Amino acid sequence: MSLMKAPENTPVWVNENNCKACDLCVAYCPAGVLAMVPEPKTILGAMVKVVYPDSCIGCSDCELECPDFAIMVADRKEYKFSKLSKEAKERAEAIKKNHFFAREEDLAVLNA
Amino acid sequence: MAFNYDQYLRTDKMPTLWCWGCGDGIILKAVIRAIDKLGWNMDDVCVVSGIGCSGRFSSYIDCNTVHTTHGRTIAYATGIKLANPDKHVIVVAGDGDSMAIGGNHTIHGCRRNIDLNFILVNNFIYGLTNSQVSPTTPRGMWSVTTQYGNVDPSFDACQLAMGAGATFVARETVTAPKKLEKVFIEGFKHKGFSFFDIFSNCHINLGRKNKMGEAIQNQEWIDNMTMGVKKWERLDDEEKKAYFPTGILHHDDSKLEYCEAYKLVQEAAQNKKKVELPK
Repeated sequence: MSLMKAPENTPVWVNENNCKACDLCVAYCPAGVLAMVPEPKTILGAMVKVVYPDSCIGCSDCELECPDFAIMVADRKEYKFSKLSKEAKERAEAIKKNHFFAREEDLAVLNA
Repeated sequence: MAFNYDQYLRTDKMPTLWCWGCGDGIILKAVIRAIDKLGWNMDDVCVVSGIGCSGRFSSYIDCNTVHTTHGRTIAYATGIKLANPDKHVIVVAGDGDSMAIGGNHTIHGCRRNIDLNFILVNNFIYGLTNSQVSPTTPRGMWSVTTQYGNVDPSFDACQLAMGAGATFVARETVTAPKKLEKVFIEGFKHKGFSFFDIFSNCHINLGRKNKMGEAIQNQEWIDNMTMGVKKWERLDDEEKKAYFPTGILHHDDSKLEYCEAYKLVQEAAQNKKKVELPK
């Protein structure tokens, strides 16, 4: 099995050169880890960002559903993923209701 | 560590030319993971693709590839397989490519039971040429050529393949990539014609005019009309019509494979006898 090296201490990371901002990873994420952020330089005017890496449960749904080879999830042996919390579930629902875009509090977390 | 897709891709051609959220990328990923799990050498794999969005498959995967004419994928692949019986041939075609213009080649490939792995990327529309009606477009849907709704009944591609004599028939959707990978592994291992009907999304050319303009809305629509085959078998006959069963629908190892049959013909010709086929 061919493997690539993961960045240290990172559960999930994005190759922004390949991402086309199709929202699929955000739609499939059960823990509200990902959100779209306005990015004027891309074609659809958005880019996916890892906002809450600590909430990632390592289900790899985003990696499997990404059609553009843009998002990767670390191996379970190398990174200790957290369990799915109620707060994370609610956040995932809220981001999906906000048309997959980061809310203001998410942007504040991202910029901090 | 994470799975390294780059080893199997022509990375200079990335990002892909497909629209954002296109199901073709998800299928390509599942094919790569299946090849990786089976441990095939990429020099022993040949990917043959036709015309359409699915035709771009052969441009991105880094193995022996042929990008062939419209609908004639199976004709090319049969030649490749007969000349190299020890290599693995994967054929990728869209629903318009393999059911309409290449429908004849598809049924005769199934009939011969030659060891090809045929992936039908079924997105219910001619996507590349901007939404003309295809043989699998559901009734009532808008397309450029059926602007007041499609009236043609649509093909059930798996039933067609089973009727034509394919020995491995499976259906999966892009909404379940892990199951997709498992089905590919089972089918690639099978010796004989493997037919995969993979439901994919085309939210750009099918979805926009049919109230599912985002990739996830189109995938939810696909999710709502499919059901696992075991659960589906327990339904009434009337309820069965509303759903497509997914999973391995037909698996038969008893039939003679075409390359082996052809070997018998070669031996018979060398001995100047008539061929004796096992019953």
